[in-house]
Amino acid sequence: MNDVIIIGGGPAGSALGAYLSKAGISNMILEKVIHPRPHVGESMVTSSTRVFKDIGFLETMEREGFIRKYGASWHAPNGHEFAIEFAEFPQEGIDQDYTYHVDRSKLDLLMLKHAEKLGTKVYQGVTVKQVLFDNDRATGVRVAIGDQEVDLPAKMVVDATGRQTLLGNQLKIKVKDPIFDQYAVHAWFTGVDRGSEHTADFIHIYFLKVERGWVWQIPINHEITSVGVVADKAVYRESHNDLEGYFNTHVITNPDLAHAMQNATRINEFKTEGDYSYSLSKFVGNSFICIGDAARFVDPIFSSGVSVALYGAKYAAERIRIAFETGDFSEEALKPFETRVRAGVGIWYEFIRLYYKLLPLFTHFIQSKEHRLEVLRLLQGEVYDRREVPVLDAMRKYIESVEQSEKHLLKKSLTNISID
Amino acid sequence: MDRKALLIDYIKDEIMRNKNAKLDENEDLLSAGILDSLAILQLVAYIDKELAIEVPDEDVIYDNFKSINSLVSYLQRF
Repeated sequence: MNDVIIIGGGPAGSALGAYLSKAGISNMILEKVIHPRPHVGESMVTSSTRVFKDIGFLETMEREGFIRKYGASWHAPNGHEFAIEFAEFPQEGIDQDYTYHVDRSKLDLLMLKHAEKLGTKVYQGVTVKQVLFDNDRATGVRVAIGDQEVDLPAKMVVDATGRQTLLGNQLKIKVKDPIFDQYAVHAWFTGVDRGSEHTADFIHIYFLKVERGWVWQIPINHEITSVGVVADKAVYRESHNDLEGYFNTHVITNPDLAHAMQNATRINEFKTEGDYSYSLSKFVGNSFICIGDAARFVDPIFSSGVSVALYGAKYAAERIRIAFETGDFSEEALKPFETRVRAGVGIWYEFIRLYYKLLPLFTHFIQSKEHRLEVLRLLQGEVYDRREVPVLDAMRKYIESVEQSEKHLLKKSLTNISID
Repeated sequence: MDRKALLIDYIKDEIMRNKNAKLDENEDLLSAGILDSLAILQLVAYIDKELAIEVPDEDVIYDNFKSINSLVSYLQRF
């Protein structure tokens, strides 16, 4: 009998493996493919540093020379640039004023190897067909090895399968987000002009004029830059699957972006990400937990995904450790994990909705003396230990005043996103 | 520098991004496409920072932001 089986060896699964191994709880990661493999989600927020420190991985991040991300910059369609720097808002327990941009094939492989070094058993190229249940209690997994199927029993099963959402699909508890149906088209480029030296290694976000449209520019290494166009799926559909045409059409609509891409050369195929945001109706059940993208995915505008995965691993490890101490693996005993993660991701989600509801407001708030630090706190991923987030209330209040005032100049900038 | 000159400089430098742009004091900034929604809030932030006037949310309306002259006359009440 295995103690913990973790399905999926991305950042969520590997961080959990590392935490559990450090706590002396035996665990195994089953990964479908053989790493390295490409993956989207190449930029992070600074709160991730805490988890890297916890699991002794920060030295590796430094040694491997990932690009340091000191801030973020937004480019309005009128050519105006707004930047923030993480140094303005120091975070407790974090001694560096930067996070990282990463080649995910490299990061994910390193994290998996790190978990293995700490004692996690890692099996790659193993496909989990389903999670096994005795009534509603998870009892293990069924894996395919070559043409054989083998059942592996476990006391605890963790779904860290990312956007595959193995358990969400199996239990039919995956709920598509009612608001966000975004679509991303992205690729890697050389020759991107990243702008002035000071902000060259920031993430750059370019606003587009189409509904919920924006573009990311993320430095992967000194030559390669990841660029992705995100917009409502309805906007994408108008392109009739002409990825290149779609991409180029939008790139030229923002003058700063058009300039940055002037001499860029694409070096790999365009990739697409659809079926954007979703949530499972529950993240835990008897003897199982879902973490990271396997539990919930929200729009990536603020680079929150890897942080959500890492904190999911941190909080799941705490709960699993308590379960092994008490012998109680029930849904009820695991529920505090869900409550905590839901609250944190809920804050991201609310921030994202308010952001898209009235785009100019965000740039207004990051320029305001009163709200700037509060916005930075959110942008840096401090979303888990707070009951109240005054800046979200202030954004909401502003939006309501625009909605209610007949003649407000921003009225036409309001989108139809529900913020209730 | 008086308020009017400050505002004109700011709009030319930071919003129109052209120091030599022509900007009539009575020109309709909104219908001319000089001020879009982001630029309006940029301007509000600038007024807050440089003139120490906090423009109330409900005052961000066409009548007050129509032209340089209407903005200056609106700001006179502070």
